[in-house]
Amino acid sequence: MDLTLAIAILVTVVGASTPILIAALGELVVERSGVLNLGVEGMMLIGAIAGFVVQFHTGNPYLALLAGAAAGVMASLIFGFLTLSLSANQTATGLALTIFGTGFSALAGSSYSARPVTLMQPLFPVELATHPIGKVLFGYAFPIYFSFIMVVAIWYFLHKTRAGLILRAVGENDQSAHSIGYSVTGVRYLAVMFGGAMAGIAGACFPLLLTPQWAERMTAGRGWIAVALVVFASWKPFRLLAGAYLFGLVMTMELYAKAGGGPLSVIPSEVWAAMPYLATIAVLVLISIRRDASTNAPACLGKPFLPAN
Amino acid sequence: MPYRLELTGITKRFPGVLANDNVSFAVKPGEIHALLGENGAGKSTLVKMIYGIMQPDAGEIRWDGQVVNIANPKDARRLGVGMVFQHFSLFEALTVFENIALGMDAKIPPRELEARIRAVMTKYGLLLDPHRTVATLSVGERQRIEIVRALLLDPKLLIMDEPTSVLTPQEVEALFVVLRLLAQQGCSILYISHKLHEIKALCDTATILRAGKLVDTCDPREETSRSMAEKMIGAGLRDIVRSEGRTMGLPKLVVSRLSTHKTGHFDVPVNDVSFSVRAGEIFGIAGVAGNGQNALLDALSGEIVSDDKDAVTLDGNPLGLLGTTKRRKRGLCAVPEERNGHAAVGDFTLSDNSVLTARDRLGMVIMGLLNSGAAKTYTGRVIADFAVKALGPASTAGSLSGGNLQKFIMGREILQKPSVLVVSQPTWGVDAGAAAAIHQALVDLAAAGSAIVVISQDLDELLALSDTLAVINMGQLSASRAVGDVSVEEIGLLMGGVHQSVEASDAVPA
Amino acid sequence: MQFRLEKRREPSRFMLYATPVAAVLLTMLLGGIIFSLIGYNGFGAVREIFLTPLTNPYKWQDLGVKAAPLIIIGVGLSIAYRANVWNIGAEGQYIIGGLAGTGVALATWGMTGWWILPLMVLAGMAGGMAYASIPALLKTRLNVNEILTSLMLTYASVQLIYYLIRAPWKDPMGMGFPQTRLFSEAARLPTIIPGTIVHLGVPMAVLVGFIAWFVMTRTVFGYRMRVVGAAPSAARYGGFSENKTIWLAMLVSGGLAGLAGVLEVAGPFQRMVPGFPTNYGFTAIIVAFLGRLNPLGVIVAGVVLAITFVGGEVAQTTIGLPNAATGIFQAMMLFFLLAADILIKYRVRRVTHQASVETA
Repeated sequence: MDLTLAIAILVTVVGASTPILIAALGELVVERSGVLNLGVEGMMLIGAIAGFVVQFHTGNPYLALLAGAAAGVMASLIFGFLTLSLSANQTATGLALTIFGTGFSALAGSSYSARPVTLMQPLFPVELATHPIGKVLFGYAFPIYFSFIMVVAIWYFLHKTRAGLILRAVGENDQSAHSIGYSVTGVRYLAVMFGGAMAGIAGACFPLLLTPQWAERMTAGRGWIAVALVVFASWKPFRLLAGAYLFGLVMTMELYAKAGGGPLSVIPSEVWAAMPYLATIAVLVLISIRRDASTNAPACLGKPFLPAN
Repeated sequence: MPYRLELTGITKRFPGVLANDNVSFAVKPGEIHALLGENGAGKSTLVKMIYGIMQPDAGEIRWDGQVVNIANPKDARRLGVGMVFQHFSLFEALTVFENIALGMDAKIPPRELEARIRAVMTKYGLLLDPHRTVATLSVGERQRIEIVRALLLDPKLLIMDEPTSVLTPQEVEALFVVLRLLAQQGCSILYISHKLHEIKALCDTATILRAGKLVDTCDPREETSRSMAEKMIGAGLRDIVRSEGRTMGLPKLVVSRLSTHKTGHFDVPVNDVSFSVRAGEIFGIAGVAGNGQNALLDALSGEIVSDDKDAVTLDGNPLGLLGTTKRRKRGLCAVPEERNGHAAVGDFTLSDNSVLTARDRLGMVIMGLLNSGAAKTYTGRVIADFAVKALGPASTAGSLSGGNLQKFIMGREILQKPSVLVVSQPTWGVDAGAAAAIHQALVDLAAAGSAIVVISQDLDELLALSDTLAVINMGQLSASRAVGDVSVEEIGLLMGGVHQSVEASDAVPA
Repeated sequence: MQFRLEKRREPSRFMLYATPVAAVLLTMLLGGIIFSLIGYNGFGAVREIFLTPLTNPYKWQDLGVKAAPLIIIGVGLSIAYRANVWNIGAEGQYIIGGLAGTGVALATWGMTGWWILPLMVLAGMAGGMAYASIPALLKTRLNVNEILTSLMLTYASVQLIYYLIRAPWKDPMGMGFPQTRLFSEAARLPTIIPGTIVHLGVPMAVLVGFIAWFVMTRTVFGYRMRVVGAAPSAARYGGFSENKTIWLAMLVSGGLAGLAGVLEVAGPFQRMVPGFPTNYGFTAIIVAFLGRLNPLGVIVAGVVLAITFVGGEVAQTTIGLPNAATGIFQAMMLFFLLAADILIKYRVRRVTHQASVETA
């Protein structure tokens, strides 16, 4: 395999991995606070359509990312209100949010079908990306660098700051955090909103980085894969990075297989299309065989909180 | 000098309960003040209001003479109130240092905070490694974290909520040394307990609550334990009635070399436990919480199945390989420590809760179909015989108070006339009247020829109830001793893990 | 004015059944307002979606046909969710059930005989069960989250349809369309009312609901499901193994989803096509919740959701409301229902201002 092809593949992998990574990072913070938001897929779709519409009308991809984030936050607030203020079942509410996001994005996008937008351009001047090594380092659009910065920032936040300590404490033992005077609901609202913003940005990446047009359900289950990755990563940001890129690789193989030619096309294209989902099951199985996956989970994950008094 | 803390007319109402009714008392600087009362008397509610977790519906709180409004725990800490909770407010997955840092309101650089933690630990002899994860610590060590956390704030009032219920007698003595030292330095201590001998040993003043109302404020050193108990409980104390001339029969339950595997992170398994209980005998198992009691109960009830059929036998028949349903059919019933969610289902009716354990023994199932009439009749009998305060068999278990639910659960098992009954913490959190009724029912069941195992952390209860006693520590069971032959000191040493204490018992008069 | 939640002594049975009705009514009200605000004829849409299917007798047969799979899948899910087993891959089990039935129909193509249809039904149920047993196995053996595995398998099953109808099962006379040949007469589900499209699956769905209701309320099996879901530790104490319950819940819900799949392919479709996955498996999640996880409630909820499907199609043609609007109405119903759940265990009390007197 020659260098140009290798670099082309690498660039595709990075593009495919980034939205999953960003969404999963958001969900990681949410789950560390003790909340299980299964609505990532729905929030991503809402972020995707918001980002698409803004990109279509303004052509400013940064505004589009912001719009995606804002839409994601709005969607996450529905979830937050139901589960945090009204202690509704988190699993069911997350599912409802995904169903809602699917319907909402389809409705909002119904008048935009087959109308292309421009893809987001690389962050650095093209001159830096002419050399193959330069392309690998400087050839990407802003969200790719953002995702890497967020991996480090979230790790730092969780383990080196007081706010991160409080967030982890709330996820480990909500009653205790409440009894020493922290606002469990407040912390969780902030975490859920952060998760919504990240999912919205991740969704906006689809029209901005991958397919420059609107397609219903264009996130195709990536939000669910992001949720699975958080489990795979044992709630640790750097392992999330590794997991997301593994999936990027699988999805890239699908693209090359569909493009035809080469050894990949021996296997039916439907198998390749199913591969990310089967791979998700495979990694969940692997991580469970290695050790009891639940031991690292935040102790209060998914349990509604109501102060004892 | 003004009082450190003065409460006037404090009232707090919950749906259907008046938790505190016009309570007034005061604490002087440097005073160790007991707040005494039964479970449910309103002690915890009262201190939660002093610590700002709840707000009173009426009444006022004065601090050093000034009326204050304590809106939240931060306000309380700012005033100088420290609190050590009964159920620790600790985070098991975090380190000692992180736990303490979470309790500090001011932003202190980590290095400085660690130095201050080490200083407080040295000063009061509360030694711990700040970088250990809480999950790896014993209950006594966990309590030290709470105390250090409170002391770092230089409190002027320290609230201790039932601090000794999880400690060995020796650990209790060590705690009292720290508390006396604090009081000498001018810190007031509000000491919540229902253990009378501790209050007589430690406190300067005692305020007694009963059913939310203040009964008396007295000097515990001038009272007898009995007089304080009567104020606390109200009606005259009832003693356990045992029929005369009881004889024990043949060994009924024989446990030999029973071991369990470690399942969870924080779980203590049992290791090579052997004992036997005769017909008519009550066998008590003492021990500090978290020493394998839960695993032992599960291994006896059948929730944990053994690899060895002879690890548990009943009248010589092996039960080791059987699950709970089959063990129950053969006459072994059990009641675990946790009521709501383990021994009973809160969202189910009492009738449905009867089906949970009595369905096979009492014919509530015919060919896979539930006989709800039989369940309802039996439940009605349990409610009547054990004076369970409930509207009827259709009430949900979750609507009952802790004591009433426990009476229902005990009644549900006892009326099945099991030949072996294993119970854990039979009267934990239950008021005195209900506890006496439960104790009497256990004694009567034994008198009728059943073998009974009582696992409890309440040593007083075990001494009053059992014929034979053994101590569980780190999953291992000590040799059994007849209750009359054993001293509290010896049991205390066994609870603390000192197993070679047989000689020690000779030195201490029982 | 401030409100406070106060725990009820006993859960309110009134609220348990009143809140789903309220959720539907609130959806109609708020949906009408929202769709008016974004420029549609909002209350026209509500009328077309929620009322026209009921007032127009020509739509009743559509209602029955749409409600049947929703009820059958919803009943299975209600049993699984009762046991706290979160099978959300019913869509995948429905697809595999449909494919298994298709396999039998194609293998017996051209044959006649009464046994073909029952064989298809058995194959469909077995297919759904087999597909549901993958998450069951992973959950019980390795503690892998069943939500994620069952959902991922759904995405994979869609690809399996595409593969089968593109290659091995492709209709030889289909002019290149990716679909199977039309089933023979013996492999088609008969209609029970002549001149309509109401097939045998419709009464079967109602029957399934009543049987499930009896099983859940009157048998040890139902007790097992309820107790494992309400308090797993208590269930273990009572002698019900959690793993066995997970298996039963998965097999029952998967088998019923597979049944719905085979009835759907043998009834309305009569051949396997790329459009076979119709989201019934996901909508049935809403049906299960709206029916309060009670099989009789699920029958009613299945009809309500069927109304929105049929009504959504009406609104599309009459007032040009995009089809996606139906999904939003359905999600809103679930949102309102979940929001109102708290009223079952809590009551809302107004807080009088005297209680929060400030002192300094």
